[in-house]
Amino acid sequence: MSTLHVVSHSPFGDTRFDSCLRLLGAPDGLLLCGDGVYALQAQSRPFKQLEARLSSLQLFVLTEDLQARGLSCPTWAQSVDYPGFVELSIRFDKVNTWL
Amino acid sequence: MSKSLLVISRQTPMSGPSAREALDIVLAGGAFDLPIGLLFMDDGVFQLQPGQQASAVQRKDLSANLQALEMFGIEHLYACAESLAQRGMPPRLDLDAVQVLTPAQMSALIDRYNQVITL
Repeated sequence: MSTLHVVSHSPFGDTRFDSCLRLLGAPDGLLLCGDGVYALQAQSRPFKQLEARLSSLQLFVLTEDLQARGLSCPTWAQSVDYPGFVELSIRFDKVNTWL
Repeated sequence: MSKSLLVISRQTPMSGPSAREALDIVLAGGAFDLPIGLLFMDDGVFQLQPGQQASAVQRKDLSANLQALEMFGIEHLYACAESLAQRGMPPRLDLDAVQVLTPAQMSALIDRYNQVITL
C-alpha cells in the first residue's frame, strides 16, 4: 500500500514536516504545497534532509506555490500543477493530508 | 510624547492575514508619525524573500506594502539573524534598509520600545 503525504505548512513553524519524514515509507510519496514548499529553501535544514533521502524519495511540489514564494524546484524534485496533484492522489492508494 | 511601538512579524506572507496586518499596523503608525519599528523573525523573514509572485496563487503581493514602508518614514526595520540563517536566506533581501540582529541585539531592541506587539 502506498500513501501520498501532503504537507502544506512551513517546516520551520512546527513538527509536521519532521514527523512526516519519520513515517514516510519506501513506496510513499511526499507532496509539498502551500507553505510546505519552504522545505525547498536552498541550504536550509529541511532542504538538506530531503536531499539526503533523494535516492528513496518520491518528492512532488506544487509549481504555483513555489513560484508565489520566490523559490525554484531542485532537479531532484518533480514539480506538478493541480491536474498533476489530482493524478497523484489517484496513483497512490491513499492520501494523508497533514492538516 | 507618543509611545514607541515595536511590531514583531513571525508568519509567512501567505499563511493567513497576520503578515499583512503587521504591515498595516506599522504603516498606520507611520502615517501618524509614531516612533515605530518592525522586526521580522521566524517564518516572518520569508516576507523578505526576493522574486515572490503572489499572483501565481491569486493573492496580492505584500512587496508593494513593504516598499511603502520607506515612503511612510519607517526606518527602523530589523530581521533576526538566526531565523535567516536557519532558512538559508540570501544576504540580499527584498528590502534594503533591514538591519540584521543577533538575539542579544533583539532583546536590547525590545527594551528600547515602550510597547511590543507580536503577530
